[in-house]
Amino acid sequence: MSKKVLVVDDDPDVRSFVVTVLEENQYIPLVAQDGVEGFEMIEKQKPDLVILDVLMPRGSGIRLYRKLKTDETLNQIPIIMFTGIALRSFLKSQKALDEFNGGEIPRPDIYLEKPVEPEELVAAIKKKLG
Amino acid sequence: MEIKKLLFVTKFEDLCYSALNSLLALRRAALEHVIFLNVIERDKVAMKRGVGYLKEEEVKLKETANIRFIDWAENLFEMGLEVGAYMEVSSLIPEILRVVEIETPDLIVIGHSHKGPLEQLYAGSDVTELIRRTQVPILVFKHMMEDNIVPEKLFDRLLFATNWSDTCPKAVDYIKGMKNAIGELHIMHVVKDSALKSRDTHEVQKVRKAERKKLDDLCDELEESGINARAHVYVGDPQREIEKAAKEYQASMIILGSSEKAAVLERWVGSISKNIADKSIFPCLLIPGEKNI
Repeated sequence: MSKKVLVVDDDPDVRSFVVTVLEENQYIPLVAQDGVEGFEMIEKQKPDLVILDVLMPRGSGIRLYRKLKTDETLNQIPIIMFTGIALRSFLKSQKALDEFNGGEIPRPDIYLEKPVEPEELVAAIKKKLG
Repeated sequence: MEIKKLLFVTKFEDLCYSALNSLLALRRAALEHVIFLNVIERDKVAMKRGVGYLKEEEVKLKETANIRFIDWAENLFEMGLEVGAYMEVSSLIPEILRVVEIETPDLIVIGHSHKGPLEQLYAGSDVTELIRRTQVPILVFKHMMEDNIVPEKLFDRLLFATNWSDTCPKAVDYIKGMKNAIGELHIMHVVKDSALKSRDTHEVQKVRKAERKKLDDLCDELEESGINARAHVYVGDPQREIEKAAKEYQASMIILGSSEKAAVLERWVGSISKNIADKSIFPCLLIPGEKNI
């Protein structure tokens, strides 16, 4: 059975690129255009994988990532971060939020900095989903 | 009212990171979320005879904005702030209003636009248009080409000029929300020359005394909230006197109310708030009245 992959990104060109890559590789694409819509989709659709941008309107990928990792029912969903924000900044932000909120959020398994070639994205998806 | 979320509207040449950086003092108050908005005016990418829609130009302008926003966002994310961004081809004011509706910010920060006197007469400035159509307070930064360097400590010395209009309580409430970011606050009221027309010195002094008392009461109220406040009475033309006070007390920002009445009248006569926001060298925070739509 094909697996569902949710792409959360505010850029329609990026969504279109990822959807094409997913369809060509027999995954079922789902799309959301910001952090709020992304969380609603995740709760409703329970995707097998989330491809997550960081800098978006209505809730960034940084907050959504934390929300998912601290949610007992959703924290096992694998996440690929797919963004123009540098990994270094992402990790620093998580550290700042860890200090502020207490607790420690695990690092993302895969962090892809845009742009990437389709092969690189497919390899990352296959690594998580097989 | 606390400033938890601010909308930073930039064309990059009018507002840059130094302006944003000066606003980060609001983190000491309540700031936790910054939204960037860059509006690419339609005429920059509009259909042109023989060329059509300039898609390449749109991509270039959007990516240029994206690169700046990513750089700024990285800095803010690293501080633990939440950040969002919009880059749209649209018209400035409708797009600001659309984003305000989606994001419900507590403050809009905008650069001062440079329209000619004729354009302003017929169309009004962006700031005038915006304050007429939103309830959200607006902080107006000035163009960087003017000899107005963004103050590093924007909240160090605020000058609140009040005319005791219906916007005064809202402005006071807003100022209280910034208390942890404020260094000191100067509160002033300008008594118009006409109010002092009397043959009796005693009557004239009574006017000053009454105004001073009202200002002192307001200072007491603000000091109870933890804000170090001082009162000043000036006499004369409000616009000129507010500018004078800002210079005398080396204000880092002027805070003004903008009443509905003024918004209706200003196309014809020019309100004090609009004129100061347009002409002052100081950043101006404009607080709209409750029914200012």
